[in-house]
Amino acid sequence: MRESIEQLLDRLIHASAVERVAVSIAALLASILVGAVLVFVSGGFASCRTGLDIVGWTFCYNPMQVYYELFLGALGHPLEPGFHPLNFNLATTLQQTTLLVFTGLSVAVAFRAGLFNIGTQGQLVVGGLATAVTVLYAAAIVPGGFVGTIVLIPIGVLAGAIAGGLYGAIPGALKAYGGANEVITTIMLNFVAVGLTSTLLSWQFQDPNSANPQTAPVPEYAEIPNIPFIGFGGRMNFSMLALGFAIVLMIVIAWLLARTSFGYELRISGVQPLAAAYGGVDDKRMTVTSMTLSGALGGIGGAFWVLMVHGRWLENVPALGFDGIAVSILAGNNPLGVGAAAFLFGVLQSGSRSISTGTAVPPELVGILSGLIILFVAMPEFFRMIGMRYGIGQKKAVRADGGARVATDEESPNGGNRTSVDDGDQPAADDGNQTVAADGDQTAADNGGEGDD
Amino acid sequence: MTETRTGADETDPSGRPSTNSDLAVHLDGITKRFPGVIANDDVDLAVERGTVHALLGENGAGKTTLMNVLYGLYEPNEGRVVVDGTERSFESPRDAIETGIGMIHQHFMLVDTMTVAENIALGNEPRKWFGLAVDRDRIDQKIHDLCDRYGFDVDPQATVSDLSVGAQQRVEILKALYRGADILILDEPTAVLTPQEVEGLYDVLEELTAQGKTIIFITHKLGEATHAADEITVLRDGKSVGTVDPNQTSQDELAEYMVGREVLLEAEADAREAGETVLSAADLTVEDARDVEVVSGIDLEVHAGEIFGIAGVDGNGQAELIESITGLMTPDEGTISFGGKDVTEWSRRERIAAGMAYIPEDRHERGLVMSFDLVENGVLGSQRSPEFSRSGRINWDGVRDHTESVIDTYDVRPPDADADAESLSGGNQQKFIVGREFERDPDLVVATHPTRGVDIGSTEFIHDRLLDLRREGVAILLVSSKLDEVRSLSDRLAVIYEGQFMDVTDPDDLTEEELGLLMAGERPEERPVSESTTGTDSSMDATGSDAAFGPETGDTGGESE
Repeated sequence: MRESIEQLLDRLIHASAVERVAVSIAALLASILVGAVLVFVSGGFASCRTGLDIVGWTFCYNPMQVYYELFLGALGHPLEPGFHPLNFNLATTLQQTTLLVFTGLSVAVAFRAGLFNIGTQGQLVVGGLATAVTVLYAAAIVPGGFVGTIVLIPIGVLAGAIAGGLYGAIPGALKAYGGANEVITTIMLNFVAVGLTSTLLSWQFQDPNSANPQTAPVPEYAEIPNIPFIGFGGRMNFSMLALGFAIVLMIVIAWLLARTSFGYELRISGVQPLAAAYGGVDDKRMTVTSMTLSGALGGIGGAFWVLMVHGRWLENVPALGFDGIAVSILAGNNPLGVGAAAFLFGVLQSGSRSISTGTAVPPELVGILSGLIILFVAMPEFFRMIGMRYGIGQKKAVRADGGARVATDEESPNGGNRTSVDDGDQPAADDGNQTVAADGDQTAADNGGEGDD
Repeated sequence: MTETRTGADETDPSGRPSTNSDLAVHLDGITKRFPGVIANDDVDLAVERGTVHALLGENGAGKTTLMNVLYGLYEPNEGRVVVDGTERSFESPRDAIETGIGMIHQHFMLVDTMTVAENIALGNEPRKWFGLAVDRDRIDQKIHDLCDRYGFDVDPQATVSDLSVGAQQRVEILKALYRGADILILDEPTAVLTPQEVEGLYDVLEELTAQGKTIIFITHKLGEATHAADEITVLRDGKSVGTVDPNQTSQDELAEYMVGREVLLEAEADAREAGETVLSAADLTVEDARDVEVVSGIDLEVHAGEIFGIAGVDGNGQAELIESITGLMTPDEGTISFGGKDVTEWSRRERIAAGMAYIPEDRHERGLVMSFDLVENGVLGSQRSPEFSRSGRINWDGVRDHTESVIDTYDVRPPDADADAESLSGGNQQKFIVGREFERDPDLVVATHPTRGVDIGSTEFIHDRLLDLRREGVAILLVSSKLDEVRSLSDRLAVIYEGQFMDVTDPDDLTEEELGLLMAGERPEERPVSESTTGTDSSMDATGSDAAFGPETGDTGGESE
């Protein structure tokens, strides 16, 4: 039992890029299959005038229609007459994609450095407020119009990056110099961020013309969608320019990790901290630096949320930072994969709205459907990460206690997962053999090293 | 349980190969292979009932693997496991536990926040009220009985985190006894204990064997093995060197068994010319994570064009000494200077940049990033050097060329720069690290066990390269547990024992017997003690230590040629 789970984890860890994409697609299809059954069955318990009658039961929902709305609705129904490529649905999809690229990159950079930054949300909240306030104050001294646009937007984004970066540096420094677990501190700092921004707002930055807790709106020429550019109009709260920037940033981060000394050191710190120390990496400084970079990316997300979506900062920031964790895991913490993962999330968000307007399916059920998709697609990557973090050698040590009963209980959830993963893995079985052989080597090496210490 | 038997055994000291039923454990021809490594090669082990049997060997000799075979963690590729005269085949530790085998790991498997009683009974709680509740009284009673019987002083209601390490170890032993163990395997039990606690452990072992229990004691420390064990089996490189009676052997003989004397071709070097001092350490004192002093006031000097060897049984402070020289640890006291500058406060990166190459002891954790390919590993440590990076960017084409030349020169197989480090065999990983470090154009090479796990041909090549570097005027600090290696390569040889240099001398002045004695912490009588040790007198000033350890130009160098 345990052997087969370990083997499965090994194969996941050593799966090639093509295999991983195949696994993801298979997982997506499997989730649709499960979701379709769920939608169909729930339809049997809803009441409606017209539905599918089977031996006296009436099934109200058509799963085909639901998934049609989810995926094609998110793009603005491209197969229907009267389709316009620059429609509102697609704008919403791409707007969410853009924002999630930033937060996904934020989480991914930290992950690659071996740090679990759950604080992207807080860094986004703080960065967003910094952007709004900076732009509002700078607007007073910068001329308006086109000049205002090209000055204020970069300043605003920069302010968001700096504020988010500093806010990310705090848990980094706490970990490096105080040994505080970054998972705990970043979670706590998320709450602090909400309280801090709310206090600052009521103290100084509240919009006097509004009863809602929000800042004054930034000038129209400082809103990104108002930049004259091909594509979506200003009312759609999205700009291709922003998406372009997100894609460029994605490439820059990927380049940084793969090609630079800093990225190289960051990656070693993430996979093998002892080797990093041997190679001359200062682990404390690396922890602070990578958390700062991660926070800065979250802060940029906040800046774009302010300058592109609302034109002002307001309380109750959506959970973009938390979704960033899922995006990053889905992307296997690969900066370039973040784009695809963010797009899937954008589709799910926008498609959900489309289902609500186009069908009678309740929003709760739609939530379950997107949840299923994320769960299914993310699980293989998630188990890859688990497998890598707890190498097989360590597993053996736990088992050495002979407390086999406890261990078996822990196994069962993994066992349950197997079915979902197997679907995707089967076609790639041949390639898998080779990789399994390679891991055997690693296990042996581990054992040898661990030996008699 | 079989108390009558112990008396019989004591009167029959030579009864080891007698009838099988006297043996609590008999491992017969155990071979355990991992891909690329033979961890145990046809190992025999016979343990008499009611005795303490030490399993002695260096790190990586295969001691733990052998015990994991006995404990059901590994299935042997060949050989038989016989427990109490019955051949067994364990699927898991649970089978081994049911057969009466208990293992006490070096790192305790206790739940810190639970009480002693809860920990001991965990997984085996007696029930009452038709299985609805844990019968705590019965647990307490049973623990009480066990404590009485074996003379343990443990409070069952104490929380584990409040106990000293020694007491926690007794809880581990109690846990095994509670589960009905007759044979106890202790994996490096003294590693975490203070000297007083070690004494306490010896008493416990004595009491246990007096009551008929059998103990297998894994250790790499000679003194412990001779002190505590009735018999000692020495393992080396996965093979059993032999079983000896500690009363009929000496510590230096055991030391030789442990480290072995591999037949090496004479790589002996031409006469050396004394160069400038490249590395020097003064009064270096290092404490480990447990605040135990593991390096105690060591002075050393390594000169350009010289190989300074450090011999000793593993675990006598070599690792900490080396790590503080290379910048991975901060010494608690003392200074290190390199190339005439005080580098005590320098970071590891600054030391690399200044020309310090380092072959680490642990290639899997330190020397290589296992999941990276060889190209990426080829730049480890040089990722900021001007040779391979410009304004923060790594020149990967240059790195690839360099890596391929290392692979080519050092015969790394498979010769594929895109192979992941973890896919290489241990010997090839080592060759790659050696190549990378030697080609760094260093002023100082710190080489720890440079040929461990490497085949004879490559060993010879690495030795030749070391001598080439020496000829080019590189200072070399060589730590090896292979006696012949340090003896034949070193210009001067220090013997380390419990964090101190026993002696620093020309290796040709020492016979193997003398070396063995020094490694076991005993000074040969004919050698004047005061002059040859690293006493405090020599650390008074730099010139003093130079006089004591500098190359003695008029010594017996000529004789050796």
